[in-house]
Amino acid sequence: MIAYAANLATIVAIFAILAATLNFIVGYAGIFSVAHAVFFGLGAYAGAQVALLLIPDPLLACLAGAVVAGGLSLCLALPALRVRGEYFVAASMGLQMMAVTLFSEAKPLTGGIGGLVNIPRPTLFGVEVSVLPLALVALALILLATALLQRGAFGRTLQALRDAESAAEALGKNVAAAKTLAMAFACAGAGIGGALFALHLSFVNVESFTMDQSVLVMAMVIIGGTGTLWGPLVGAIILLSLPSGLAFIPFIPPTEVGAVQQIVYGLAMTLLMIFRPAGLVGDLSKGRATA
Amino acid sequence: MLFLQLLLQGLQTGALYALTAAGFALIFGATRIFHFAHGATFAIAGYVFLYFWNAGQPWPGALAAIAAAVVFGLGMERFVYRPIQRHEGSFFTVFVAAFGVAVVVQNLIGMIAGRGFASVDTPLSMANEVLPDVFLAPIFWIAIAVAIVLFVALSAFLTRTHAGVGLRALAQNPDLLRAYGLSSNRLSMLAFALGSAMAAPAAILTAMTTGLNEAVGHHVMLISMAATIVGGVGSLRGAALAGLMLGVAESVALQFVDTQWAEGVSFLVLFAFIIFRPSGIFGVAQTR
Repeated sequence: MIAYAANLATIVAIFAILAATLNFIVGYAGIFSVAHAVFFGLGAYAGAQVALLLIPDPLLACLAGAVVAGGLSLCLALPALRVRGEYFVAASMGLQMMAVTLFSEAKPLTGGIGGLVNIPRPTLFGVEVSVLPLALVALALILLATALLQRGAFGRTLQALRDAESAAEALGKNVAAAKTLAMAFACAGAGIGGALFALHLSFVNVESFTMDQSVLVMAMVIIGGTGTLWGPLVGAIILLSLPSGLAFIPFIPPTEVGAVQQIVYGLAMTLLMIFRPAGLVGDLSKGRATA
Repeated sequence: MLFLQLLLQGLQTGALYALTAAGFALIFGATRIFHFAHGATFAIAGYVFLYFWNAGQPWPGALAAIAAAVVFGLGMERFVYRPIQRHEGSFFTVFVAAFGVAVVVQNLIGMIAGRGFASVDTPLSMANEVLPDVFLAPIFWIAIAVAIVLFVALSAFLTRTHAGVGLRALAQNPDLLRAYGLSSNRLSMLAFALGSAMAAPAAILTAMTTGLNEAVGHHVMLISMAATIVGGVGSLRGAALAGLMLGVAESVALQFVDTQWAEGVSFLVLFAFIIFRPSGIFGVAQTR
């Protein structure tokens, strides 16, 4: 039971990292990416390779994950500088679908469809550690960084370019730099989440980095409330406790739990947008996130 | 000869892409709604046809597929997009709502019809040798003919009928349209009905050739969006041409790469256009 709870808590913490970082670009910068699972995957593969080839040091794995995912975020920052709104969604969706093919084909780096197996348990200074405390610390740091960035000049620049890009540019804000930096920060965060995920499961394959996963993370952000600090956390907890909750409903066959879960959050996304577009945590009196 | 074979194959795929993309572009051009559930329309039409086919009713199946597509499209317009646009129609809200519906449809199809590829077996997709080493199935001619007939009919409708002119006016200036006493709600429903109906023939023909799976909507959306952007937003001709081009490009690329990379070709074209020419082939630079 404790092991079950610890496992669920670790997964919640990792997905909360993903949701919080996605919220950073969606909610504050208005960059609507449906490719967040790509950077989660890049971090996971990088972290796993560090653990497999060098030492299973979680800090090093996280660093590798952050560097790889943050560096390759340029793939997404480039279209984000050129277009926004619908166009960018199209570009990020294409990137997501391409990445799944790449992950399944680049066997030397990712192990192909079979994935990377037998990733050693993480050890810090020679002592074996569990991933849960690491994930909680990483989540806390990322939330702290989000809160600080949001209050500072950088956060205000992002919100300005979310609400009126031309106006922000006219006032002398460097829109290109702000977008690229926001993107790098969010993707590096997703990379850290990925590295922790790989160490926690000691197995990764492409199944965890598909479009469905990107949609799940997006649903967490939206259901929780975009542009809020705690919304993504609430969304992650709700959506990840959903499968265990559904398992108790007798008339759903176990093989269909995944599908029912997706139907529930798909429906929730649509209904929220019709009736409460700011999300569960979002404040209706404030302006809504517009892209 | 391999090249010719791939080119013809690409024309067949491209004709189907063109139909789907033109439906999407028609809706987007007229209503400015990024109909992200267009892929779901395609999947619904395809699976409805599949159901009737398995019951031994191909022709009623084709009609039912078109009806299902139209009903779904109209339902989206009436129950999802219109309530959202009434209070605030930001791109983000519309996109997420449509995306949620697409997720629901994909999983419902998976639960009801089963997961994995499903296709219909028909003598129409049996290939014959038409030239030395070049094989064509009768379905090739059907796909090309259907595409040509529908495009001629659509452009005649848009230029010659009152409602068609109204649709084009809706795209250009909705306020002026209302001032002339036309109902923008009714025209927007017309756009959804027509655009969704255009996805049905493509879905039926896809079921007969490559087959469908429950996640086919993602691929359809990527192609529709790519064709709309590459063709130039607001240009129906552009979207159709770009759809055809993407189909040919994906197919001809098979001479150099394996099949799993075919989708990547469309992605690269889209990416190149977004970075170097976001307004597309026929698009005019506009401030959005």
